[in-house]
Amino acid sequence: MKITSKPMALVILIVLFGGIAVTTWLGWWATETSKVPVTYPDGELAGQYNPADIRGSYSFGDVSELFIIPIEDLQLAFHLPVEDPAGFDLKSLEALYGDLETEIGTASVRLFVARYKGLPYEPTEETYLTVEGVEILKLQGHLTPDQLAYLESHRVDLSVAAPVAATPPILAEATPSTPVGATPAATLAGPQTTPAPVETVHAPPDRTITGKTTFQNLLDWGVQSSDIEQVLGRPMPAADTIIKNYVTGQGLEFSAIKNALQTLVDQVNP
Amino acid sequence: MKLSNLWKKFTRRRIWIRSLVQIFFFALIALIAINHTLAENGQPIAFLSNASLHALCPFGGVVTIYQYATAGTFVKKLHESSFILMSLGLLLALLFGPVFCGWVCPFGTFQEWLGKLGKKIFKRRYNHFVPAGVDRVLRYARYLVLAWVIYMTAATGTLIFARFDPYFTLFNFWSDEVAIGGAVLLGLTALLSLFVERPWCKYACPYGAVLGIFNLFRIFRLRRVPGLCRNDGACDITCPMNIKVSEKTIIRDHQCISCMECTSEAHCPVAGTVDFVAGGK
Repeated sequence: MKITSKPMALVILIVLFGGIAVTTWLGWWATETSKVPVTYPDGELAGQYNPADIRGSYSFGDVSELFIIPIEDLQLAFHLPVEDPAGFDLKSLEALYGDLETEIGTASVRLFVARYKGLPYEPTEETYLTVEGVEILKLQGHLTPDQLAYLESHRVDLSVAAPVAATPPILAEATPSTPVGATPAATLAGPQTTPAPVETVHAPPDRTITGKTTFQNLLDWGVQSSDIEQVLGRPMPAADTIIKNYVTGQGLEFSAIKNALQTLVDQVNP
Repeated sequence: MKLSNLWKKFTRRRIWIRSLVQIFFFALIALIAINHTLAENGQPIAFLSNASLHALCPFGGVVTIYQYATAGTFVKKLHESSFILMSLGLLLALLFGPVFCGWVCPFGTFQEWLGKLGKKIFKRRYNHFVPAGVDRVLRYARYLVLAWVIYMTAATGTLIFARFDPYFTLFNFWSDEVAIGGAVLLGLTALLSLFVERPWCKYACPYGAVLGIFNLFRIFRLRRVPGLCRNDGACDITCPMNIKVSEKTIIRDHQCISCMECTSEAHCPVAGTVDFVAGGK
């Protein structure tokens, strides 16, 4: 049997579009996630959602509902915006934390959810969580020693590195958006176990100057404004100005100024 | 020029319907890619799909097989549609070989269009710049690319090839999803297309590597009848993949893209000499 170009063209179109039509009719065709992760196929976890299938297109509200995790814990763990944390998409984390050297993104959410619920999951890449996220996971009590060791070596202190605007207030009680049956870890823990680093957003505890440090931080650490002005070679701007922004805006080299200011910080007893 | 004359010129002496199918798929994918961006900005065209190109790439189905088999999940950014398109592409390949490459793939079409410019510039030297010995070895490089992509995707669980994929870059050059590696390879492919026909397909395309294997056992085979052949080399000259059709009876070359340009319907001047047939010898 011989086939020429016109029947071949017809067969190509029929196979491709017919195949799409048939699979659409069968409900198999999907070009975007259904926002329902796959479930574990067998074993004692059979039927439970698998956090490995969490996608960047999910919102934190989806994650909260699907895995019964209080939105407050997710908000705290990922420093979500105060307004509408449930509507915040996972894929937007990369933009939120684009300045970090280590990535906090969808893989971080997968890891957090898995450890929060005590579900099996092995990250396929180096995956980082915030210090607050790690603290919340410790409170849940599902971590094995190996998992804890991994998290301790893969945590990022956003109070030093993250955009200040991204830092939420610590939430001490559940709001109406909390999934039924879920209680925020912060509430469970009480005030004495609230993750500490969040309280120090405006004053990094290790007294290290970073790209987010303000002149107010230096003053809080005991550095005199006259010493700062001597390093700058000009009057100090408003205290809440971020040093890096000011220095680069003045055409100065940030690393040189930072080193000089860090020397001043180190000379002051805490 | 009148439309009827343009049509006559278009349909003269070649597999014109292939060009039509290529234009259709190129335009379709371009429009869907644009609509994807419009949808992200809240203004999609209603009657057109706004799927991401990842979701419409049959090669996505190939790279996610391992993860689907071991974890029951798709690689990030891939969906059921990739699996379905992969299956349909493999069905077509089982029937005719890599018709997806020769008729459907918009990136192959893009290279062909640039190649027309190269033909005008270099005439008969076009597509004959690479020394035969080097060319023969390089043709297997795409299997290395395939192995690397499958391994890296399985190891990382991410769509690693998207960072280098010139096809994705071509249809997303306006988006922030484009990586520098993809842009470099797109530029390089475009440049090489002026000298070599379908350079990406020949030397680097991992999906072409998969489909090319089907040439060994496709149901409809490209057959040359030696008794009728004039041995004028028309089939060899016209083959975009530089296959020596005139030296074979059944074309099982893994590089054949089933474009039909060598057949008696197109450039072979003797009827019934080179045809796509099923059954028989």
